[in-house]
Amino acid sequence: MSEGLVKILDGNIFVVSADNGDIEASLTDPTGLFAFDTRFLSRWVLTVDGKQLNALSTDDLQYFEARFFLVPGTGTVYVDADLSVIRQRSVSHGFHEQLTIVNHRREPVTLAVRMEVGSDFADLFEVKDALKKKGKYSYRIEDDCLVLEYRRETFWRETWIGADKPATIDDKGLTFDVTINPQSRWSAHLRVVAGHPALPMHPKKAMREGVGMTTRATRAMAMAHNLETWLANAPTLTCDSDSLRATYHRSLVDLAALRFEAPILPRHALPAAGLPWFMTMFGRDSIFTSLQALPFAPDLAATTLRALGARQGTRLDDFRDEDPGRILHETRYGELTAFEERPHSPYYGTADATPLYVVLLDEYERWTGDTKLVRDLEFEARAALAWIDEYADLQGNGYVSYKRRNEKTGLENQCWKDSWDSISFHDGTLPGFPRATCELQGYAYDAKLRGARLARKVWRDEGLADRLEKEAADLKRRFNRDFWVEDGGYFAVALDEQGRRVDSLTSNNGHLLWSGIVDKSKARSVATHLLGKHLFSGWGVRTLAEGEGRFNPIGYHVGTVWPFDNSFIAWGLRRYGFKEEAAQIAEGILAAAEFFAGRLPEAFGGYPRAMTKYPVQYPTACSPQAWSTGAPLLLLRTMLGLEPMDDHLVVDPALPSSIGRIELLDIPGRWGRVDAFGRGRVDTARAARRSTSRG
Amino acid sequence: MTDPQPDAVSRFLDDLATRGHDPLLHGATGTMRLELIDGGDTQRWTITVDKGDLRVSQRNTRPDAVMTMQRSLFEGMVKGRVNATAALLRGVLVVEGDLGLVTAFARLLPGPPRSVTTFLQRQKELADR
Repeated sequence: MSEGLVKILDGNIFVVSADNGDIEASLTDPTGLFAFDTRFLSRWVLTVDGKQLNALSTDDLQYFEARFFLVPGTGTVYVDADLSVIRQRSVSHGFHEQLTIVNHRREPVTLAVRMEVGSDFADLFEVKDALKKKGKYSYRIEDDCLVLEYRRETFWRETWIGADKPATIDDKGLTFDVTINPQSRWSAHLRVVAGHPALPMHPKKAMREGVGMTTRATRAMAMAHNLETWLANAPTLTCDSDSLRATYHRSLVDLAALRFEAPILPRHALPAAGLPWFMTMFGRDSIFTSLQALPFAPDLAATTLRALGARQGTRLDDFRDEDPGRILHETRYGELTAFEERPHSPYYGTADATPLYVVLLDEYERWTGDTKLVRDLEFEARAALAWIDEYADLQGNGYVSYKRRNEKTGLENQCWKDSWDSISFHDGTLPGFPRATCELQGYAYDAKLRGARLARKVWRDEGLADRLEKEAADLKRRFNRDFWVEDGGYFAVALDEQGRRVDSLTSNNGHLLWSGIVDKSKARSVATHLLGKHLFSGWGVRTLAEGEGRFNPIGYHVGTVWPFDNSFIAWGLRRYGFKEEAAQIAEGILAAAEFFAGRLPEAFGGYPRAMTKYPVQYPTACSPQAWSTGAPLLLLRTMLGLEPMDDHLVVDPALPSSIGRIELLDIPGRWGRVDAFGRGRVDTARAARRSTSRG
Repeated sequence: MTDPQPDAVSRFLDDLATRGHDPLLHGATGTMRLELIDGGDTQRWTITVDKGDLRVSQRNTRPDAVMTMQRSLFEGMVKGRVNATAALLRGVLVVEGDLGLVTAFARLLPGPPRSVTTFLQRQKELADR
């Protein structure tokens, strides 16, 4: 997304405009009002006497609210403006916009104030891929509102636009004839409502309730959003590093902004994946983000588990790559999904979300002690565990692998590195399908052990627990034999369809440490590679090592550094006792965060830190992105060495010396609230010199 | 004369009425009204779920959710040819009230027949190997 755009959002509804508040979208550009994966406004242009306005300043008041100070004029020649225009906008069912014009003259002024409107009702996929529409556009005037309509057979979407002041309405906008006395102001409140069949409230009703109650509505909304409560409930961080403090605050606020209420589970929030392309429920992203946020906002995990459980697969459906017990990959509500031109209703093509579901359920219980949720979701967790053995072992070789059944619009790579070229041999060749990527085996191993713990502790099923533990031990033994690249001293990224090791060196090794599947005897070698010069850039671990056939420092999954990936790698290093190495990764990623004003992007370039001095942003990265937002949170956990142990929280800090002192106060969990302290003693610069000389 | 062979919709609802408990709905509690439009006629069923315990009747109780559609569309659903979520997004299935309850109900619908064949073929291939 280009610079200078103003974005405000609330869950899956968001508005992206220019810095003067105007929206003039082309098909391929992600500006407009979006809700439920559909663009409901592609044109929203304010003119006074036929002229557009210039921005003096723009304030993001809250993540759901922005204010634009504008003046008439061309902006080329400076003339003392005798009018000020203020637009204040907040998101809710669409958005509200309070329009205020102040007359600074000593005589009255008469103005034609016009809001030009239009909508292309594009499906977000159409914006992303520049596709053409198949339905018909029309408009009507109803209830003093302009209603823009799009219809394709029975499919409908509507945008309602109204105001609390009399306006002349035509098919392209609303015009107000305004006279303002000297030194006085005129104000109108405009309301835009998105109409969609899956929304509980009809747009006409939402419109009637919304117009003419701007201040009250805004205040009520601010309360509903409850940002203050959200921040107050999170642990308090005090530390020497201003940058870390800012990053922490930014992460909490962005996480609040990305909270999303799935229509099937109203009044409960789970994290949506990222702005602008992924403002919806994703199995993998919601689970990883909930894991990262557990010590800070454990409720996200509970909602994620409930919502994903409610949509767990129940049948075989090739188009949606659905199986019984499988956790969904992605849900969408747009036109292409409605007409089954895309399979996202929901789409199940992911091989990791299902084992990770069990991992999250167990980790959630270890932190919160909420055994009720574990009992409520016993059926879902058992179905997820059964999926691993009954449906995910496509080759009958005891490993989880994937091959899409929807060959037209399904996903080829059903692991987190889901782009087409992400999994390759050392020489750059792409393996065939099914592919059994290594981290999937780690997640399956962890899911079995954690499932066993829950079976023993909560479900009281010793037989299941014994069986799962036996299977996990067997999986670990086979894995360490079959995936180990002997002459490299690391794990292959996958086994191909013939069982051959796909021998490139990748960041996936870090996820293996996190899962615990790595033999102790092999862990040192893996950790050395992760911090070695081929994988570690100085900012973080690259997705694919320098020196591999497909390595490209700005290739999406073949050389860039992903903050989320690194946060789990750091967790993995801690799990095997590599505290200093984990601190080194935390130092690099948190230093990078400073260059992005505390908001880590999805990915940044894998150039060596010594070469660029600053992290190079990946060109089309999403921001904010939920699991990048969660990365600093998980890094705080790994630096402080926070680990639940029965009813206590163990604190075992290993902080980079550049971070200094940290106090994390009021960490919620089964222990009530406890504090954790740490002081930086790990000299990461020295450690970096040491490890890059190996590698 | 014998009755004509019951159609797929009747068979599905009869089966539901005698099922008693379905674990797929263990998390759902509430009352749904199913309204099927068939020509000029609308047929109504009340489906009550209590943590997976199912009851089907034609009593007119106040529902938490109402699903309305053409009977032919519902027939497609019970045969696995029509996906309920996509139908909702297209506007051919209209839901009022608790969408969570309707989503839970939709878990009882089968997948497309072709998918099962694909799966069985795959299992057979694995067995043959």
